[in-house]
Amino acid sequence: MGKIEAKNIVKYFQHDGKPLKAIGGVNLTVADGEFVCIVGPSGCGKSTFLRILAGLEKPDDGEILLDGKKLVNTGPDRIMVFQEGALFPWLTVEDNVEYGLKVAGIPEKERHDISKRYLDMMQLSQFANSYTYQLSTGMKQRVAIARALVMDPDVLLMDEPFAALDSQTRDLLLVEMQMIWQKTKKTIIFVTHNVPEAAVLGSRVAVFSHRPSVVKKSLDIDYKRPRVAEDENLGQFEKQILSALRHQGPK
Amino acid sequence: MKGNLLGKKIAFYVLIIVVWQGIDSANIWPDNIFPSPIEVGEDLLFGISDASLLYGIGTSMWRLIIGLAIAIGGGMLLGIFMARVETVNQTIGSLVLGLQSIPSVAWVPLAILWFGLTDSGIIFVTAIGAIFAVTINTYTGVKNIDPSFIEAARNMGAKGGQLVTTILIPAAFPYMITGFKQGWAFAWRGVIGAELLFSFLGLGFLLNVGRQLNDVSQVIAMMLVIMGIGILIDGFVFKKLEDKVMTKWGLR
Repeated sequence: MGKIEAKNIVKYFQHDGKPLKAIGGVNLTVADGEFVCIVGPSGCGKSTFLRILAGLEKPDDGEILLDGKKLVNTGPDRIMVFQEGALFPWLTVEDNVEYGLKVAGIPEKERHDISKRYLDMMQLSQFANSYTYQLSTGMKQRVAIARALVMDPDVLLMDEPFAALDSQTRDLLLVEMQMIWQKTKKTIIFVTHNVPEAAVLGSRVAVFSHRPSVVKKSLDIDYKRPRVAEDENLGQFEKQILSALRHQGPK
Repeated sequence: MKGNLLGKKIAFYVLIIVVWQGIDSANIWPDNIFPSPIEVGEDLLFGISDASLLYGIGTSMWRLIIGLAIAIGGGMLLGIFMARVETVNQTIGSLVLGLQSIPSVAWVPLAILWFGLTDSGIIFVTAIGAIFAVTINTYTGVKNIDPSFIEAARNMGAKGGQLVTTILIPAAFPYMITGFKQGWAFAWRGVIGAELLFSFLGLGFLLNVGRQLNDVSQVIAMMLVIMGIGILIDGFVFKKLEDKVMTKWGLR
């Protein structure tokens, strides 16, 4: 299961020595198996919010519940895919993917079987023994996704993972991401600043306001999958997201 | 290219020996001040044939390895603590910088008083001369780790000791190797310096014996051995290790 609830999350940043309220009480409930994209103006704290969900930062107020249980620390039930992948350059692709399993003490044979399955799924099998510097940016993000999936987390947290990709690679991964979601039925929370990307991926899009941020609008995207970025029918959803983003000056 | 480089090197060293022999043949200085390369070579061969040189090398190397191992182990531990615990850095960190400025031979009197004229005393000098170079480089390496590596590992469930062995050490390793190289250089100076002053076996001792016997060719022979071992360890142990790590990391 992977129902995650954020209740009244508040976070301050230090700005010139003064506390600055970045997140001003975000409430967000994501149902098990839902694919939610978070968009918002830059500096609204959407990445910080995701890091709080991951347990990598502590909120100044509010709490996070996973299937009704309060979360305090980070842990493999919520795996984060970082913007730059955060792959370990001293390990091969295969060892990167198996890292979390090894830490959990899973025997080598079993580890191999699991990683092989996800390397196949992400079309990385022939790169299993490569080091990460030998891979393109797109390949690296595939490895990062495989490394997250092997952990079989309840929730997958993705922090602008496609921001550094060229548009062709991104389009390909947008389709693959939808297939992964349909295949694994994971709860996914995906932060992006790219509105078309949110419309393609999300079954729901949560629009954050300018800081101190709250959830300004929650928009269901009820449209057949797999979706592609150039589908004109997604335009109406994009317009709604954009207008929600626009109707707000800095407070 | 590679052959060419080797050729250049060989030619250079042959030239040195020829010039050396030439100066000796000119008889500017007496033989007990300026020996010929042949005399030095004979001394080396004699040392090998009666095993005294081999025994000296063995003794020095053994002390070096133990001292350096202590320095690497202790330096890594101290460096990691300094990088991860701010209080340790603020307190012990400043002391480490101060201690690093003490030349290793300056530890010899203390080592003699504490350990007497023993192997332990020499190993102490070797280790203490090298440990702070390892510490400082480890500290820098751990401080420079991309924070997302540590976050990703914690997120995947790594804790405490696991985080140290699977992330901190490998991630900081390119810096640590610099520390090992510096540490080894300090350790080698430390071991020879200590042996000279302790006068208790080893290459430094043989060097000192040469001086006491007024045997210049023995002194030069020992210096050549000390230099030769330095070149070998630098080139074969640390250069190889560095190349391997850098290649694997994609840093070259």
